[in-house]
Amino acid sequence: MTAPTIAVGNGRATLRRNFWHGVWRVLKRKPSRMAGMVIVLGFAFMGIFGPLFYPDPLPRDTANLYAAPSWEHLFGTDFEGTDVLALVVTGSSYVLLSAVITAVITVVLGTGIGLFAGFRRGRWDTVLMRITDMKLTIPGLPLLLVLSTIWKFGSAIEMGLVLGLLGWGGVARAVRSQTLSLRERGFIEAARGLGLSTTHIIGRELLPSMAPFIAMNMLIAVTGAVYAQVGLFFLGVLPFEANNWGVMLNLAVFGGGAMSSPAALPYLMAPLLAILLLTLGIVLAVDAMDEIFNPRLREE
Amino acid sequence: MKRLAAVVALLGLATVTACSGNTGDKSAAGGGDGGGGLYTTIDAIKPSLDVNGPINPWSPKGNAFWGYNAMRIAWSKNHLTDPNQFYPGIAASWEIAPDNSSITLHLQPNNKWSDGKPVTAEDVKFSIALAYTQGSTAFAIDPGAAGAASEVEVVDDKTVKISQDMKNPSVTFVRGVMDSFIVPQHVWSSVLPADFWDKLKAARGEGADAENARAEITALSEKVLAFAPPKDVSAGPFALERMNPGEALLVKNKNFYNAANVGPDQVKMLNSTGNEQIWNYLIAGKLDSAPFTAVPADVMKRISSTPGNAVVKGFSPVSLGLAFNQAKKPYDNVHVRRGLAYLINREEVTTIASPEGGTPAVTTTGIHQKPAAEWLGAELGELEPYKLDPAKAEEEFKKAGLKKEGGKWTLPDGTPWKFTINVPTPFSDWVSGAKAVTSQLTAAGVDAEVLTVADYPLYLKEIAEGKYDVGFWLVALGPAPYNIYQRLYGASNGWAILGGKVKHSAPGKNGNWMGGPETIEVDGAKVNPGELTAKLNSASEDEQKTIVGQLAKAANQDLPVVQLWDYVNTQFVNTNHFTGFPENDSDLLRQPAGVWIQLGMVKKK
Repeated sequence: MTAPTIAVGNGRATLRRNFWHGVWRVLKRKPSRMAGMVIVLGFAFMGIFGPLFYPDPLPRDTANLYAAPSWEHLFGTDFEGTDVLALVVTGSSYVLLSAVITAVITVVLGTGIGLFAGFRRGRWDTVLMRITDMKLTIPGLPLLLVLSTIWKFGSAIEMGLVLGLLGWGGVARAVRSQTLSLRERGFIEAARGLGLSTTHIIGRELLPSMAPFIAMNMLIAVTGAVYAQVGLFFLGVLPFEANNWGVMLNLAVFGGGAMSSPAALPYLMAPLLAILLLTLGIVLAVDAMDEIFNPRLREE
Repeated sequence: MKRLAAVVALLGLATVTACSGNTGDKSAAGGGDGGGGLYTTIDAIKPSLDVNGPINPWSPKGNAFWGYNAMRIAWSKNHLTDPNQFYPGIAASWEIAPDNSSITLHLQPNNKWSDGKPVTAEDVKFSIALAYTQGSTAFAIDPGAAGAASEVEVVDDKTVKISQDMKNPSVTFVRGVMDSFIVPQHVWSSVLPADFWDKLKAARGEGADAENARAEITALSEKVLAFAPPKDVSAGPFALERMNPGEALLVKNKNFYNAANVGPDQVKMLNSTGNEQIWNYLIAGKLDSAPFTAVPADVMKRISSTPGNAVVKGFSPVSLGLAFNQAKKPYDNVHVRRGLAYLINREEVTTIASPEGGTPAVTTTGIHQKPAAEWLGAELGELEPYKLDPAKAEEEFKKAGLKKEGGKWTLPDGTPWKFTINVPTPFSDWVSGAKAVTSQLTAAGVDAEVLTVADYPLYLKEIAEGKYDVGFWLVALGPAPYNIYQRLYGASNGWAILGGKVKHSAPGKNGNWMGGPETIEVDGAKVNPGELTAKLNSASEDEQKTIVGQLAKAANQDLPVVQLWDYVNTQFVNTNHFTGFPENDSDLLRQPAGVWIQLGMVKKK
């Protein structure tokens, strides 16, 4: 009698197929999740391909400053007659790229340090957590304000890097706590008893259990990065880029008088709506991710 | 732009000179009933109130509001071309010696401090001693400083005579005297040592003792700046009663010499942290008057539609220039600067940046266009206007050796040319204007960008250190032509008057950030614009006119700056509660509302 064998390659393909099938099922269950994914994918598309739809530099209509919304200019024009929607679309690349870099750095560093410290415990845990504690005591925004006087954050990568390096502390602490809790559970004990490698235990047993948690932190990191950089640009401490969402908010309020008169209101509303929509999209998408990565779902 | 308004006001007020004899007007307007009431406004010099600020006119944080509870000897009219006109302040009238060697002040005969003690000549002399510690223009302690006072003599209880050191005279002497703040000696007496005047005498000599005396006087500066009287004792129309973070309340000084004609009983200064706050106050009709603030067109419509609100406009002796650091390539080449001037559409830039507060500069002369017409007459029309002309720009760039590759201009060696304009973030009209300039240049193939700096003091520090290639720079601070051309051919471009002689510093040294050459070619002849500017300090009126013509031509041909727009003094008044405000083009618009009030103009409705 021979044991039934399953080709490894086929097995992975099946698993992948089942995973995507599960994803689709999860998304279909609530229309809001579908909407969230559409929004996130829409922003990703906008960030990558959006600038290709517009000429560089963007055209100006100087006879039409702060024009009211129309079919030609859905969100009106800015102080020098440039289409506001075009500014939002072309400006999305910087915001999204730096937010993604921030999120990746936050999650990779935070999860890596948290998992390692929580799983290994002992001296490594002590050292890493003291470093994390020190990092947590650094006030983010004031430090960024000081940094901005010497560093101009000209590229999205620089901005993402700095925000990411400032943001991993909370994730590391939380992941460590979660790891400490999980490592005492039966299935981890069993995995250890079976002599499975540390890499396997961490990668296949611990990490999936924490996936929703990590995804949540990714959400916070992305939205936090958007708020932080837009805030810094709004305060006017970073270089001027007319299509940066924060600069647009600054100019709409302090230059255009958007809080005092309606002419510059669409100029203010466009980047605000973009930020709101992006946040909403991520929240709804993570709601879906929560269910996708939840181990209980896989049991169904 | 609130902060720019303050800067413009300060610079405008601080740079005018007087050069011949005159007596002051008694009053700008007739008397009439006071009537009382509460007058609400914003202070242009210090819109952000600080409850912990001392009642000290020399302190940058001080709660001494010019024209209200802080008084000068006299208030300058900042006339278009005649800097020799003042409104009375502490002094009712004055006589200036024909050779400008002295000025005799006659104090208001019936003026008293708010605590009832009379304002005397001793108060004036004591305040002048305080001014020496701050190094004010007429009261410099450096030996041989041009325009410094050599003697302060109390003639009688209400008369003071101040003499100029005639070894090195200056036309700025009279204005330097008139701009002095006067404070009560009986409140401030502890700040200065009893032997101050002996120390000052010693400081004017040479050797170690003189050095020590100068150091001692300079060291008193901090003590003067930090002094905080417990209570406001004012010789102005008002005294500070109380303040909180949102507002300061000043009440009428019943002892003020013209108290019977001071309209409001109280003045409320509202705190302001930004333009939009002032717009909202104006839209709500809360302010009886407000200083110049950059206002977008739509907000202006809303402000104007508020019942009682009116906009008054007048001359402001300030222009905005796009300034080059000629120590950096390719801005050392005049053809590059001219090419850039031909690519900038000044009308469009002004419409975008300052539609209410500026008019496009007719050309670059270094002078605001209104006084330029007076100083230059027909010559103004003969100067190159630098109208938008891409073909001429291309010609100039080619003369400079620049190359156009793939539609973009590069430096002569083929390396990319990045044109970066630096501006301070809080100045919203500068930011918009700089962006408009870069958009125009980018469209013409110049790779241009705007870089912002967090605040104006940092901007001034960095520009002085030569960190920027190109920045915005206030010019044309008149009416004295010496002060006007100081902005182009003064210390920031390497020239300074030291010991009565003009000296030129190399770029990067002694504050020379513009880095222009010491001599430039104008109509084929070499001229030294710094020396010409220095001559304006002591030249007669006719000589001044000739020199101004030469300097305007030099600025027009050499373009150390490209003049973008000339400021218009745009202010707001509300006639719901008070009347008698200055009309359009009044020279009083160049002084705070406290001066209008103290002269008896503003009346309760």
